Amino acid sequence: MNSDFIKRSISASAIWLFIVFELIFFTIAGKYLSLSSGGFMDASNMLLLLKQSAPIGIIAVGMTLIMVNGNIDLSVGAVFAIAGIILLDSLSWGIFSGLGDWVIVASCLVALAAGTLLGALNGLIVWRTGVDAFIVTLGSMLGYRGLVFMFNGENPTSNLNWTLVDIAEARFLGIHTATWVFGLTVLVVWLITRYTVHGRNAYAIGDNRNAAVNAGIRVGPHMLINFALIGFLAALSAVVFYAESGSVNPNDGMLYELWVITAVVLGGTKLAGGSGSIIGTLGGVIAIQLLRTGLGYIGADTSTVNLVIGLILIVVLFIDRQLNVKGAQELKV
Amino acid sequence: MANTARQKILTVVGNHGILIAFVMFMLVFALASPKFLSFENLQSVVRSSAILGVMALGVTFVVISGNLDLSVGSMMSFSTIVVLDLHDKLGPTLAIPTMYLMTLGLGGTIGFLVGYLKLNSLIVTLGMLSAIHGLTLTYSGGKNMDIDDKSGTWFSFFGQGEILGLPVPIILFIALAAFLGILLAKTPFGRKVYAVGGNATAASFSGIPRARTVFNCYLISAFCVATAGLLQASRSMGSQNTVGQGLELEVLAAVILGGASLLGGSGTILKTVIGVLILGFIQNGLLLIGWPFYIQYVITWIIIILAVWLDISVKRGKFWATV
Amino acid sequence: MNTKKLLTTAIAATVLMGPALAVAEDMRIGITQNNVGVDSYQTTYESAFIAAAEANDNVRAVVLDAGGDVARQIAQVDSLIQQGVDAIIIWPTNGEAVIPAVRRAHNAGIPVVVTNSNIAEQGFDFIRSFSGPDNVTQGSRSAEIMCDKFKDMGIENEAKVVQISGQPGYTTAIERAAGFEDRLPEVCPNVELVETQPGDWNRERSQQVMEAFLTKYDDIDGVYSGDDNMGVGALNAARSAGREGIVFVGATNFSVGYDAMAEGEYWGSIYQSPVDDAEAALQTAIDILEGKEVPFLNYFDTPKITQDNMDEFTRPVF
Repeated sequence: MNSDFIKRSISASAIWLFIVFELIFFTIAGKYLSLSSGGFMDASNMLLLLKQSAPIGIIAVGMTLIMVNGNIDLSVGAVFAIAGIILLDSLSWGIFSGLGDWVIVASCLVALAAGTLLGALNGLIVWRTGVDAFIVTLGSMLGYRGLVFMFNGENPTSNLNWTLVDIAEARFLGIHTATWVFGLTVLVVWLITRYTVHGRNAYAIGDNRNAAVNAGIRVGPHMLINFALIGFLAALSAVVFYAESGSVNPNDGMLYELWVITAVVLGGTKLAGGSGSIIGTLGGVIAIQLLRTGLGYIGADTSTVNLVIGLILIVVLFIDRQLNVKGAQELKV
Repeated sequence: MANTARQKILTVVGNHGILIAFVMFMLVFALASPKFLSFENLQSVVRSSAILGVMALGVTFVVISGNLDLSVGSMMSFSTIVVLDLHDKLGPTLAIPTMYLMTLGLGGTIGFLVGYLKLNSLIVTLGMLSAIHGLTLTYSGGKNMDIDDKSGTWFSFFGQGEILGLPVPIILFIALAAFLGILLAKTPFGRKVYAVGGNATAASFSGIPRARTVFNCYLISAFCVATAGLLQASRSMGSQNTVGQGLELEVLAAVILGGASLLGGSGTILKTVIGVLILGFIQNGLLLIGWPFYIQYVITWIIIILAVWLDISVKRGKFWATV
Repeated sequence: MNTKKLLTTAIAATVLMGPALAVAEDMRIGITQNNVGVDSYQTTYESAFIAAAEANDNVRAVVLDAGGDVARQIAQVDSLIQQGVDAIIIWPTNGEAVIPAVRRAHNAGIPVVVTNSNIAEQGFDFIRSFSGPDNVTQGSRSAEIMCDKFKDMGIENEAKVVQISGQPGYTTAIERAAGFEDRLPEVCPNVELVETQPGDWNRERSQQVMEAFLTKYDDIDGVYSGDDNMGVGALNAARSAGREGIVFVGATNFSVGYDAMAEGEYWGSIYQSPVDDAEAALQTAIDILEGKEVPFLNYFDTPKITQDNMDEFTRPVF
């Protein structure tokens, strides 16, 4: 009983131990290798790190729910780009011309609505056709990217609105706007998984779909809601990011799905569905951003960054497997 | 009565849906552009699809065995860069087998992790996608690789040569497809691949070595990737580190279009070849009628979902899923 | 329990030691590059930059690479501001998206130098200087090279040209294409640009685009590519299709392009050295920190190179 509890705790907090390890490593390595005048664990450096992890992190929170559900969404990068284009483009739409600075609110709502719809479309196809979510979203990853290009050909879509930039750069209680949005997202979705019927059903469906169906849970609508939610979050991530940059390249968001999935898996969520936690994902997101910032801090080049991140993903998967296999065996005895 | 007739039509359409779609596309493009069906154009499409096609052959094995391989794009960059670099250092005769061995080593690593250690193939190959890209950059120092003396070597034979008027890449693609097609359809090993993908647990109980079969599938995939790298290197006689970037998804799209289920246990080499050709002809047809390249993304999206949906509909006997 | 204590002690120790880090008194210059490793130009630029920084005892460089990702580049600018570097050099992944980040550096009192590919005009208030090639002029020079060749051949009234442009959305690609498209009708009003497709700075992609062009058009007299890497891809396609007599003009002369010119298969390009590019950017930053006057648009010269005058240039190292 006792040792099982310890194992489970280690398994659950593995990602946080890894984060502590990264902090120590980069602080010490930074003393010898870095040119920075500040320490790695400088408070403002850490705040910046949280802000930088927000765009990927917000999407990763949604991906956690999708993966707990036993699905996957590869189209989030394209949805991110579409929402960004709609946000910036709608700032100068004629119908909003009388709104003054309130156009920002209207544009954000339009962008979020578009993301939600694109997500829901994926969910609807998965639900009604019964085609595997991997294939549906692999297709829409291409298709939505095509839509991105159709907006403005191969040219970037730009609209630099300084009011919007000022809002994005504002710091309430010393914390960046992006971090606030990220934090709120984590909190709200965590509450959903803990305290709502929808959240509990998501775990039940991912754990054993047939049993869930037999228990009278309507699997399809739940999946639809989760896909709409991740579409909304991909758009929210775009709002947070493009508010501060004001220009969308048609290639933006490519490979985001891979980074997001990496973060979620590092956070302990299983691809097979049924288990995973929002807090673990938060850890995964922070761990990856720490790794990136840290490797940059000690002067590693792109090739090393790619190599290290790839290998760590595999090692984490291996360790996770070892812990779980042992746990399962002990349960049998 | 009407119901059974509809069932029959559905079955025919479902089983040959991909062929029907293929013929329809060819017709549309042929009407839109008179050049489309010219021999030169057809040959040019098959030749430029050969690289993607060779990779798709290997991935078909991996997918049928119930796994994924997202690392083939970065692995192909690796093979291309390595063989170009070694060409000038060792000469083509030694460079080619060395490159094959190194690529097989990478494939074997993935096969070991997925087959013997039973790690999830999506995450392992995702990690390898990033790691192998890093490896390639480290190997080349980030530089483009070019063969110094381009006219004084027979290395260009694989990518640019011809035998009896047919380009060598096409011949290699057909030969490899025939060989792997027979391996998959007619040998005990092929049956094991289907068995492992169809139901891995049952396969283990019936004495089929799951781990070794999966391992071998990744070796086959790596062999195909090495061949694609060879074709690529020989075709352009020089290359950059990102040459294969993003190909993993196109390859997967071709394999899925060909009807291999991602759950494993189904798919054939012939269907994959058709999937590859469909993608190649869409890309080429759109270029010929002067539409921007990104229209092909939208079309691919629609036909992938329709093709798989049709396939599933036939299996369950109705269009819409119930729950 | 024990391990936890150990960790806490370790963290506490490292936190305490943090501020005791040695502070460099020299010029600390941070650079964030576009995408090292995507082609040899950027890789050579990076090593030249590092070499130039190491050769100068007063300079310590923080070299970062955005990997082509706008988000990562913005994060890197913020990190450089955070680290308190004395000057920032940026090779923008997107000429508009980085403007707010550049403004933050400006507001923090850090001078910003843009290198290689300029940012949009809205951001000019926040940068001290742009150092790099004039990509619009490069595009128009390529148009002139091509037009002059057509005049030599006597086909300036009927020639048809296709264009293979760089990665969609990148300032360098857009500027070169604009320069070429604007200049060509001025010098050769009867030459027709029949189609433009992107080759993504990628030789293989460019080869495929050219194959389709060759099938589609029976008459192609000239090909303009956004750089020589793509130009050689197009040349490969023409070579294997057996189409001769096409005038290939590129930009950023790569060694493969130089060799193809020596063999007489490739007509001309624009000579642009990544070493000059890197050294000019570093020197601009140093001059600003030393209080010297620097021009706002600090272009280094990128001359025309053709088969006729290639002896005057050394073979590019990349």
